[in-house]
Amino acid sequence: MSAAVASQWPQRRRRVFQSVFHTDDSQPTPHSTPCIRFPDQGQPFGGPAAPIRHQHARRAHAHAPLDAADPSPALSPTLTSSLSTIDARSQLAQPLFPSLATAADDQVVFDRAWHVVTARIALPASATADDSFGTLPPDSQLPHQAYTSDVDFYDALALIVQAPALLPRATHTEDVVAWHAQQARSHFAQHVVPLLSGCLDDQGDEPGAENRGRYRGTGRRGDYYERHMVIVMSSIRTLEAALRLYFYGFGMLVRGFHKLAVANGPGKPLVVDPELIATRFRRDIHALVGNSASPELMRSVSIVLVRLTGTILGIPSGDDSNDIGSVRSSQRLAPPTDDDLNAIATRQRLHELVEQLHNVGLAGERFQILFAEIMDSMMSDFVTGAYAGVWSASDTQSFSAATAMNTISRTAGASFTSPCILSLGDWVENHFSRLSLEVLSRVSPGAASPVKLSDVKTYQSLALGRLAALRISELFDIVLAWPSSRGALDDLRATITTTARRLQLTASFSHTLQTRLLHPGYSTLKILRTYIAIIRTLHALDHSKVLLGHVESSLQLYLCQREDAVRIVVTGLLASAEELRVARKYNETAKKPMERRSQAGHTGTGNRGGPEPGPFVTPAVGGGYRETPGTRKRRDSTPEAGPGDAEKAARDLSSTKLIELSLILNDPLQSRRASPEDEDLDWNDMTWVPDPVDASANYKRPKSEDVIGTLISALGSEDVFIKEFASVLADRLLTDPANFDQELRVLDLLKRRFGEPALQNCDVMIKDVRDSRKVDTLIRRKRKDRHEGKSPATPGTMDQALSAQGAKEMEYHARILSRLFWPNLDREHFLLPTPIVEEQKRYESGYQGLKSGRKLTWLNQLGQARVELELRDRSVTVDCTTVEATVIYAFQDPDAEDGNSSVRRSVDELYAQLQMDEDMIAAALTFWVAKGILRHVQHDVYAVAETLAAAANADSSSAANAGSSGSAAGQQPGAAMSTAEDKEDGGEPPRKTAGGKPAGASAKEQERRAMYWQYICGMLTNASATMPLGQMAMMMKMLISDGFPWSNEELQEFLGEKIADGELEVVGGKYRLPRK
Amino acid sequence: MEDSQNSAPGSLQATKLAGARKGPDGQNAAKRLQTELMQLMTSPAPGVSAFPSADGNLLSWRATIDGPDDTPYSGLTFKLSFEFPSNYPYAPPTVLFITPIYHPNVDFSGRICLDILKDKWTAAYNIQTVLLSLQSLLGEPNNASPLNGEAAELWDKDPSQFKAKVMDRHKDIDED
Repeated sequence: MSAAVASQWPQRRRRVFQSVFHTDDSQPTPHSTPCIRFPDQGQPFGGPAAPIRHQHARRAHAHAPLDAADPSPALSPTLTSSLSTIDARSQLAQPLFPSLATAADDQVVFDRAWHVVTARIALPASATADDSFGTLPPDSQLPHQAYTSDVDFYDALALIVQAPALLPRATHTEDVVAWHAQQARSHFAQHVVPLLSGCLDDQGDEPGAENRGRYRGTGRRGDYYERHMVIVMSSIRTLEAALRLYFYGFGMLVRGFHKLAVANGPGKPLVVDPELIATRFRRDIHALVGNSASPELMRSVSIVLVRLTGTILGIPSGDDSNDIGSVRSSQRLAPPTDDDLNAIATRQRLHELVEQLHNVGLAGERFQILFAEIMDSMMSDFVTGAYAGVWSASDTQSFSAATAMNTISRTAGASFTSPCILSLGDWVENHFSRLSLEVLSRVSPGAASPVKLSDVKTYQSLALGRLAALRISELFDIVLAWPSSRGALDDLRATITTTARRLQLTASFSHTLQTRLLHPGYSTLKILRTYIAIIRTLHALDHSKVLLGHVESSLQLYLCQREDAVRIVVTGLLASAEELRVARKYNETAKKPMERRSQAGHTGTGNRGGPEPGPFVTPAVGGGYRETPGTRKRRDSTPEAGPGDAEKAARDLSSTKLIELSLILNDPLQSRRASPEDEDLDWNDMTWVPDPVDASANYKRPKSEDVIGTLISALGSEDVFIKEFASVLADRLLTDPANFDQELRVLDLLKRRFGEPALQNCDVMIKDVRDSRKVDTLIRRKRKDRHEGKSPATPGTMDQALSAQGAKEMEYHARILSRLFWPNLDREHFLLPTPIVEEQKRYESGYQGLKSGRKLTWLNQLGQARVELELRDRSVTVDCTTVEATVIYAFQDPDAEDGNSSVRRSVDELYAQLQMDEDMIAAALTFWVAKGILRHVQHDVYAVAETLAAAANADSSSAANAGSSGSAAGQQPGAAMSTAEDKEDGGEPPRKTAGGKPAGASAKEQERRAMYWQYICGMLTNASATMPLGQMAMMMKMLISDGFPWSNEELQEFLGEKIADGELEVVGGKYRLPRK
Repeated sequence: MEDSQNSAPGSLQATKLAGARKGPDGQNAAKRLQTELMQLMTSPAPGVSAFPSADGNLLSWRATIDGPDDTPYSGLTFKLSFEFPSNYPYAPPTVLFITPIYHPNVDFSGRICLDILKDKWTAAYNIQTVLLSLQSLLGEPNNASPLNGEAAELWDKDPSQFKAKVMDRHKDIDED
C-alpha cells in the first residue's frame, strides 16, 4: 500500500506545485557539479558510492522533501568514449532541467546512479582483434560479490529502475536496459561487423570460386568445404565472444532486477520483469546478429550445410570426389546405413554447428529459409540421383505382372506400390524428416514439435511429386525401353494423381515427341514402332486411354504426312507365319539378356544405370535417331545372346517390317477383346471406376489396349487404309495362293472396325481366289475327261512337243478375278509362248462352257511359272514370273538341237519376237543372268550358259568369250509352264515386286497426268481464268481426294510441258488457257 | 491440332454411324462433291465442265456450258454458279446463269426454271446430269412455264428475231 501511495503522492504534489509556479521542463537547471572524485578518462567510474548510499538512505527515511537542495554530483561529460552519445544527450538536455532545487537533487541522484550502472556494464571500446572479446569479460559472472563496487552497482541500479518512485523529480531518466541494448547494437556495428568481414577476408575466397558454384571447381575443390567451414566457425567464435560481452553486462542488470524483486518482497509488483526483458534482449541481439550476417557468411553456412546434410542424407555433394561423372554413373544414391560412422560423425557435427549457430543468433529466419532451400534441393537431388533410370521392378515378377496387368485392366490403382516409391517413402521418413526434426528442434527449442506427423506426410507427397516430375521427364525413354520399364510406370501411376500432373505429363510428353521423334530423321517404321510402345505404355499407365488421347494427336498428324505409314501397318499386319515364327523365337532369345539387364540396372551396375543413360537421351536432332527402340538396342549390345542366323534374319525383318503388329494380332490376350464393343454399362462390374476428369465429352471407355485399333484409327481416313489394304491383299492373293488365314484374320479385324460394306471388295477378292480353285479343278477335270475319251495316251492335240519331252503334261491353272472389285489391274501386252497360248485357249473354252456368256481377258504379266531348264551339264528349276518365263522360253531353239553354239538372242530380237516392253525384257534378262542361266555376251546380246564354267566365265568376261564355250547343242529349256495364272479383265495393282512394272507404272503415271490436266483445265475454265502456280497447287491438293503428291516444282514442270505444247499460257506469273 | 482432332475421330464416328449417315453433314457433302469432281475430271462430258470456285470453298462451284449446235445458242459459252447446301445431295444446289442469257426459262437475273432443280430433285442427280439437262434445256425450252414470256413467244413465232435477241443479250464475262 505504502509504495503505491508513495509513488503517486509526490507526483500529485509536484503537479500542484507546477500548476502554481508555472514551472516546466524547459527551464534550465543549475549545472552544479560538486563531484569529489572525478575519474580519468577511460577509468571506470566507481567513485560516488558513498553519496549515493547516503542519498539512498536519506531518501528511505524522508520522502523527497521538495526543498531539499543538495548539491548533487553531475554527470561527467568525459566518461568512456562508448558513453559519449549518451553523455552528449545528457549534457544537451541538462540546461533544460527545471531549476528547482529538489528536481535538480533528484536528477543529480539519478544521474549519479546512472553513471555507476553504465560505467559498470559499459562495453569495451576495443577495436582490436577478436581475441580481446575472449579475455575482457570475466569468465565467470558468479564471483561478482568479490567486487566491492557490486553493492554500489546494485543500489544504483535499484535507483535507476525505480526512478519514478524514488526520484520523482528526476525528470530526465533513462531505461538502462534500452541503453544497454543500444550500446550493444552500436558496439556490434562498430567492432564486431568489421571483425566478421575480416573472418571472411582472411579465408580468401578467390574471385573465381563464386562463379564456379557449389558443385564445380578445380583441384582445390577438396578443401573448398573446409575453407567455408573455417569461415563459419571463426565467425561463430567471434560472435560468441561478442555475445558473451553483451550478456555479461546484461546479466548484471538482470541480477540487479532479481535482487530488487527480492528486496521489494513478493507482494510488490515489479517494475520490470527480469525474465521478460531478458528474452527481449536476447531476441533483439539475435535479430541484430541474424540481420547483419553478410551474404558471404550465409553462403558459407549454406555450403557447409549442404555438405553436412548431403552426407547425412546420402547425397554426395560432389565436391568430395574429383570426377563426378564416374561416381554418379557407377553408383546409385542411397541413404547411409545406420552404422555408417561417417554419417554418424557428420550428424554429430551438424548438431553442434546448428546449436552454435542458434546460440549466436545465426539460426534465425534466414537460416531457416536457407535450411528449407537446402532440404528442398536435397530432395530433388536424391530423387534424381537415386531413381533416374531405375525403371525395372526389383525382380522378375514384373514380367508376370505385365501379363496380369492386361486382365485387371480397370483396377489401376495405387494398390500395387513400386519399390521406388517404397524406398523413397522410407528415405523421407527415416532420413529426411529425421534430419529436419533434429535441425529444427535445435533452431527453435521452445516449439513443441517442429516436425509433426502430418509434416512427414507432406514431405512424402512432395517427394512423390519430385519422383513424378522425374518420371515425366523420362517418359519418352521409358516408352522406348518398354516393356522392361514397367517399374517406372508403376511409379508414375502411383504418383500421377492430380489433373495438373496429368496435364504436365501430356504436355511434357508431347513436347518430347516433337523434338525427339517427329522429325525427318526418324523412319516411318521406327515412328510406328514407337507409337506402338506409346500405346502400350500409356495404356499400362492409364487404362482409360485419356492420356493417350491427349498425347497422340500430334503423332497422328505427323503420321498422316508419312505416305508409307499405311503400307507399313498393312504389311506388318499381314506378316507371314514364317516371319512370325522367326520373330517369336527372336523375342525369346532377346528376353533373357533383357531380364538380366534389367536386374543389373537395378542393382546399379548396368550401363544404363546412370541418371542420364546415354543411348536414350540422345536428342537425335540432325543426325537422326541411331537405333530402334530400347529392346532392340539392348539386344544389339549383347552379342552373346544367340548370334544365330535366326536372330540376324529377325533383325533384318524387324528393320523392314512392323512385325510386332502381327504378333499382337496373334496374341490371345489381344483377341480376347472380341466382346461387343459398345455394350451398355455392365451393372455387375464391381471394378467400375468413373471416367477421368480430363476426359473429353464424347469419351467412351475402351475395354482393352487395342494397339492395332488405335494404330489404324491414327492413320487418318479409313478410305486410305482400306485402299492400301486392298492393294496389298491383292498382291498377296496373287502371289501366295497356299492359304490366307492371316489375311482373313486381318480382314475380320478390319471389318469389325470399318464395317462390312467398306471391305466388300476384299471379300470379293478372297472369294474370287477360292472360286477360281473350284473352277480350275472343274475345267481341268472336264478336259481330262475329254482327252481320255479322245486320245488317252498323248497329251493332246496341241503341239506340246517341247514340254512333252519330259513326258510330263504341262499344268496350267488360272485365277478368275472380278475386275470391278480388284484394285486397278493393268494389262500388259506381250506374246506368250505358243503352248501357253494354246492352253489359254483351251482354258477359255472350258470356262465358257462352264459359264456361258462370259469372256476371259488374260493378264499375262501377273502370273507365276515354274520353269525347268535342262542345260548341258545341269538342269535347273526356277520359280519366276510369267514375263521371265516367256523371255527364257525365247532362248529355246529347236533348230539348234544339234548345233555347237549356245543360243543367243539380242534384245531387239526378243522385242520383235515377244512384242514385250523393252524394260521388261531387260529386267527379265537381268534376272536370268543373275540365275546363271544366261550370260551377257555383247552389248544387248545374251547367250545361254550351257555349262557352269560358261556361266562363271560370263561373270568375268562378257564380250570376249563369244562362242568360246559353245561346244554341244543340247540346249533344251524344257519350259514346263506350270501355274500360270491369268486374269479376267483388269488393271494392275501397284506392286513393287516383279519385273514388268516400270512400264505399268509409267502407264499409270500417264493416266494420272491426264487426269491432273483435266483438273487444271476445269479449274482455269471455271474457277478462275488465270491462276498463279501456288494457288493451283493448293486447289489440287485440296480437291483431289487421293491426294496430290506433286510438289510445286513438279507441277510447274508439268505446266511447263503444257505451255510448250501450246495448251497453256503464262501471263504475268499466272497461268491461263489460250483463247480459242 | 484442331484439325487432327476432327479428322481422326470423324472417320471413326462415320464408321460407327455406318449405314445411317444421312444427317445434314457438311463433311459428307464435301466428300460427295469431291467424288463428283473426280468423276467429272476422269470422264468429262462434251460441252460442259464445272469446278469449285477459286476461293477453295467446295460448296460453291462454277460451271461452263457450251451452247449446243443447231440451237440459237450455238457457239456461245455460258457461265453458271452452283451453290450447294450442306445437306447436298439430299437437297438440290442453287444454280444461276452468270452469263446473261435470253431464254424462255431463265429470267433476267439468271434464275432458272427447271423441275429437277426444284421439286423433282433426287440424290441420284449430280452436277454432270444437271449440266447436261441445262444444256438440253437450251435447245428445248419448256415454253409451258416460261420465266421470260417474250422469249417463249418469240421461240415459236420468230426464230430469227429470237436468235438476234440471244446474240444481243449474250455477253462474255471475264473475271479478269
